[in-house]
Amino acid sequence: MEIKFSQLTKKYGDYTAVAVEDLHIPSGESFGLVGNNGAGKTTLFRCLIDLIEPDTGFAMIDGKSTQESEQWKHDTGSYLDENFLVGHLLPEEYFDFIASINGIRETDLKARLQSFEPLFNDEILGGKKLIRDLSKGNQKKVGIAAALLADIKVLVLDEPFANLDPSTQIRLKELLKQLKHDRGVTMLISSHDLSHVTDVCERIVLLEKGKLIRDIRTSADTLRDLEAYFAQVGNGIGQEEAI
Amino acid sequence: MKNLLQIIALDWKGSTRSPICHRKVIVNVFLALTFIYLIGNLLVLGIFLDDILIKVPIDGVDYQTYGPSFVLRRLNRYLIYYFFLDFIVRYFMQKLPAMSIQPYLHLPIRKSSLVHFMLVKTVWSPFNLVHLILLGPFMVEVFDNLPLSQALGWVSGIIAIVYFANYFLLFIKRTSEVDTRVYVGLLLSLALLVGLHWYDMVDFNAISTRLFDALFLQPWLATVVLLLLAVAYFINFKYLKGNMYLSRISKVKRAEVSYVGAGILSRFGLVGRLTELEFKFIWRNKRPRSVFLMTILFLGYGLLVFPQDEYAGNYLMYILFSIIITGMFMLNYGQYLLGWEGTHFDHVLTRNVSFKDYYMSKFLLFAVVSGAAMILSTPYAYFGTEILLVLFSVFLFNLGVNAHIVMFFGSMNPKKIDVTQGTMFNWQGAGAAQFMLMIPGLGAPLGLYGLGLLFWDEMGAVALIGVAGLLGLAGTRYWIQMLAGWLRKQRYEISNDFRNQ
Repeated sequence: MEIKFSQLTKKYGDYTAVAVEDLHIPSGESFGLVGNNGAGKTTLFRCLIDLIEPDTGFAMIDGKSTQESEQWKHDTGSYLDENFLVGHLLPEEYFDFIASINGIRETDLKARLQSFEPLFNDEILGGKKLIRDLSKGNQKKVGIAAALLADIKVLVLDEPFANLDPSTQIRLKELLKQLKHDRGVTMLISSHDLSHVTDVCERIVLLEKGKLIRDIRTSADTLRDLEAYFAQVGNGIGQEEAI
Repeated sequence: MKNLLQIIALDWKGSTRSPICHRKVIVNVFLALTFIYLIGNLLVLGIFLDDILIKVPIDGVDYQTYGPSFVLRRLNRYLIYYFFLDFIVRYFMQKLPAMSIQPYLHLPIRKSSLVHFMLVKTVWSPFNLVHLILLGPFMVEVFDNLPLSQALGWVSGIIAIVYFANYFLLFIKRTSEVDTRVYVGLLLSLALLVGLHWYDMVDFNAISTRLFDALFLQPWLATVVLLLLAVAYFINFKYLKGNMYLSRISKVKRAEVSYVGAGILSRFGLVGRLTELEFKFIWRNKRPRSVFLMTILFLGYGLLVFPQDEYAGNYLMYILFSIIITGMFMLNYGQYLLGWEGTHFDHVLTRNVSFKDYYMSKFLLFAVVSGAAMILSTPYAYFGTEILLVLFSVFLFNLGVNAHIVMFFGSMNPKKIDVTQGTMFNWQGAGAAQFMLMIPGLGAPLGLYGLGLLFWDEMGAVALIGVAGLLGLAGTRYWIQMLAGWLRKQRYEISNDFRNQ
């Protein structure tokens, strides 16, 4: 499913959190968002999944504004932060619930959870810990798995690699690539980890103070370019000229 | 010392920046007025304490013999009860000084400074200040009427006892939380004391008189009490300092995964699943669980009224208690309807569930609990079938009208609730909406009853309440649609508030 942002702005007082004039993400694209803290990555994602009301403009999934219609909820899996987790449930109960609201049968659920086992690494299922008592990394695994559980066509993940252990980071990357390859899921991923995001995403957009300042097709040089850019930012050199 | 001052400053910032201080102005005004009213009562009582004591009739004591110390002696006669009561109240209500010392433990601040800080902070606890407000005016009188040394002995002795009780209790409470034997021992000695008093084996008045009279007759005894205070402080200090490790401060987190309840609710499809989820939520978190347990307790509330002769045929009372029996849960739990879900509200908004089903599940929750309460309270019919009619009419009203009102007010600018805290004196989440809720919740059935009396007899008037409930039930679908629409409009604001709390 394609995604469109149009004339989208969000201000907090005088501070402009997001000002994206026009951004089009075609169906099946893996799209990476990078930028320093406060660049507006999370705000942009929240606007997309209708958690924040934009001041102007709109975000569309499959041609429908996410503000107007709730249709996107059927096709979109998202995980931004712990606010997406129901802390007083066991991971199994949470998955069970997500499956039931998405009409996934019990046998299917089992098979799907099985496919996350490399990600879980035996730490999630079968334990006696409620989600709120899990470590940050394990909470993230639960959140990401829940976002991937249904037959989604759009995936939105904020900082999926942060807090994960190295093995899981690598497995997650594989899982995401596979998801794109097998099911053609449109993916929006924000990350501070430049090497991971360039590895997973075919297109990278650089956000700075809410504005879209670079739109790059990933190539062999992308990682080096991005690193050069971020090394320069704040060194007194104009950001526009940095790359 | 410099460190200590800095910690005090940080702690002060912590309390002024807590969400409680950022409630709606009207709530704070209301709470402030209540507070001033209570303080005012205490002060008035304190000022007139001597007049009251003079008027207390006690035989065999001659005013003249004791001169100015007469009133004081009368007070002393009862002080032992006063402090005994104080101790019990403290035990159940006074909270252990909570301070998150975790952020300071790794800093170069001496542990003993932190402990001193935690302990000294309790000096300002309302449980201590209350005594100073109540007995303060009397203490001034004591200074006016008695020689300075005597007055000094008594006043400093009493203040020392107040603070001794403070530290003694903190220690007991801290240890009894860890060791149940302390708790059992405490209960046993309490029972023993009450028993001794009940069978007049010990004259507590005499003991009280001896103890507290001694404070002004031999003023040097005050130093003994002060010494006791110092010992209590020191024991606390020792204990806290020895136990200041993260693993001991933060209670061991136990996953409470038990859940009573079969999958019956899944028969209601998705809505039932949501309701079941909410039951799990209630059962696994301290605050909602205590709300739920309170509901069970209130089932027995009817025993206070229904079997009593003095209330026989008093339908107003019947109605009032019936509202509580079948409606306690929805009124109490429902007032924070959205607030309970503050920690995962983004999940609520993004999941593939319509707001209509969401509210439907809340309604089902109320219906299940209220219905169970109704069934469990049918034995009240033993005290008269008319009681059953009242219970049932009011049950219908609770379900058809109050449940809807509660869902509406519970959705009005909700506050995130910390579900791990207890309910006692917990004002977190209270807003104007929560106070307003009680007016129609309790008032409307009584009003309907009054209205019905104009046309019919008592039974007819009671039936009118039930009919109103049925009418309300007929409109449930429509009402829930409205609520869903309302939540759709408010979703940004609510989720933003929750995220920033």
